Amino acid sequence: MATTGQALRPARAAAPLLAPATLVVAVMLVAPLLLVLRFSLDRYDPTELMIETVTGANYLRFAADPFYRAVLRTTLGVAVACTVLCLLLGVPIGYRLARMRGRWKTACVLATVLPLVVGSTVRAVGWMILFARGGVIDATLRGLTGHGLELMYTTTAVVSGIVSINLPFVILTVQSAIETIDAELEEAAQSLGAAPGRAFWRVVWPLALPGITVAAILCFILAMNAYATPYLLGGPRFQMMAPLLFWEFGTNNNWPFASALALVLMTTTLVLTAAGNLLIPRRYRI
Amino acid sequence: MSRLTLDRLGKRYGDAMAADSVSLDIPQGEMVVLLGPSGCGKTTTLRMVAGFVTPTSGDVLLDGRSILRLPPHRREMGLVFQNYALFPHLSVARNVAFGLEMRGTPRPEREAQVQRMLELARLEALAERLPRALSGGQQQRVALVRALAIQPRVLLLDEPLSNLDAALRAEVGRDIRLLQREAGLTTVMVTHDQDEAMAMADRLVLMRDGRVQQTGTQEDLYERPANPFVAGFIGRSTVLRGTLHATMHGGDVFATGGGTLLLAGRYAADGACTVALRPERLRLAPPGEAGPGSAAGTVELASYLGAVREHLVRLGPELRLVVRDPTAGNTRLHAPGDAVAVRWDAGAERVFDAADAQLPFLHPEPIAPDTLGTRMTSDA
Repeated sequence: MATTGQALRPARAAAPLLAPATLVVAVMLVAPLLLVLRFSLDRYDPTELMIETVTGANYLRFAADPFYRAVLRTTLGVAVACTVLCLLLGVPIGYRLARMRGRWKTACVLATVLPLVVGSTVRAVGWMILFARGGVIDATLRGLTGHGLELMYTTTAVVSGIVSINLPFVILTVQSAIETIDAELEEAAQSLGAAPGRAFWRVVWPLALPGITVAAILCFILAMNAYATPYLLGGPRFQMMAPLLFWEFGTNNNWPFASALALVLMTTTLVLTAAGNLLIPRRYRI
Repeated sequence: MSRLTLDRLGKRYGDAMAADSVSLDIPQGEMVVLLGPSGCGKTTTLRMVAGFVTPTSGDVLLDGRSILRLPPHRREMGLVFQNYALFPHLSVARNVAFGLEMRGTPRPEREAQVQRMLELARLEALAERLPRALSGGQQQRVALVRALAIQPRVLLLDEPLSNLDAALRAEVGRDIRLLQREAGLTTVMVTHDQDEAMAMADRLVLMRDGRVQQTGTQEDLYERPANPFVAGFIGRSTVLRGTLHATMHGGDVFATGGGTLLLAGRYAADGACTVALRPERLRLAPPGEAGPGSAAGTVELASYLGAVREHLVRLGPELRLVVRDPTAGNTRLHAPGDAVAVRWDAGAERVFDAADAQLPFLHPEPIAPDTLGTRMTSDA
């Protein structure tokens, strides 16, 4: 009894300290979410806008209309492609960075972080200059081969744009995960007969897996919710969830349907993140 | 199972030589210990043998064949690290099996070998544990048998005992020595701890600033140090720099730090030189005692260390000697301030000329160890 009381005391003492933070989270996160949930059950009327009721019509509309299902599919496809590409590029770079020493390392980390200083909108404009008709890539190819290549408003453009934004996050997350793995473990593996590549797969990869999972989840969530990049590089016909729901919310003033879209997007992201985590061997899960 | 030869091996980093023409020939089954203070190049040398550092000059030969072109994973060297470097995500048994898996050893053979190795390390009961559930000593035993499991041609040990506490150090050190000798493994160990080195080695290599100072048995390095650094490092001699004045009879006079020592021997030199005195071969005598091998002073510090008593004796403003005598002897612990004479025989002193080469005795002849023993007891 006495021990229980003692064990409880620190928890009780911490309660007043935790209360403000808990309150902020409740007010700023949970309350708006509940509000969005409530809105999504309302009915939309072009003249009266939002009519308070409880209906599943918004969700039914989403499920029934092939257009919206296609938007969700595109969003998922882009997010998965971006995540795979970011891992393919980010894991080797993160590994090299983690094993670097001294001044070069500082320079390379800086070079990785620096693009983040430029906002995603400005970066998208940069890509537009590259991809547009008569842009850098198009003009160069036309000059060289006679055939231009127009990438603007294509999946390639959107995926390139999102990858360029997400890659630094993936690299830095992977780097910090690999830095906790002693380089001597690789040397030990090599001395036991594993070629460097094999030593990586047998020792570094499984140990870095939790960190790589975090990187993948981060990248997936960012890609699912990308707004500026698909809007600017995908154009009006390349539809992803975030721009679509903002259009419903801002231009159509259809808050109930926008809320339903927001919840569908959030739920899909959460479910897929959890499912992805299940694919990983239990002891490496986060 | 091989003869390992280092031929003028060198590694240059910018202007600094991390290792400078290190030459060494290790016959099959011998255990050589590279010893020296940190930054002396011993670890660099070991890593060049393992293949993780590319030498800038010289060669590494295994049975007369250069292995420099072989990457680490094809050198077949068992490597044991200071912090064990066990794979934290694999069980003890999987750790030990790792090298065999990499070699594609068939499963039944592999399992039998792992079992043999675990028995060797007395770890059968812990086979399925993860490394972090093991004590330091157990982890290092796993690391050792993991390296032995692949039946390496050479065993390389990088400070294998440094992370263990004193009691475990002796135990794991014995394990390493027994397993190494049983397997007849050519072995190179690196350490900064001279007691560890003395206890483990067949032969010692003392290094400083990337260069080999002396190679030889424990006795070679202790009794016949090649230079003042060796004399000072092995057995922690008191090393004094000063001026030697030759005399016609008795011992030479050595002046340093505001005091003088009457040496036990005579040497063919005059002027600047270095004298190294072994604390455990000095003894305290009543004040006033003089003759070859003596100096007069005052006790500054006295400690009883169990097996020995240690006195710090002040002979001059800048001149102090450490005297260590066994408590089993018939002497007593002096109090600070006591006036004493320090006495020694020729076996306690080593004299080096200005170029750090050891000077031979002229007179008297070195005293045989047995007479030395009787003299010490009769004096006390």
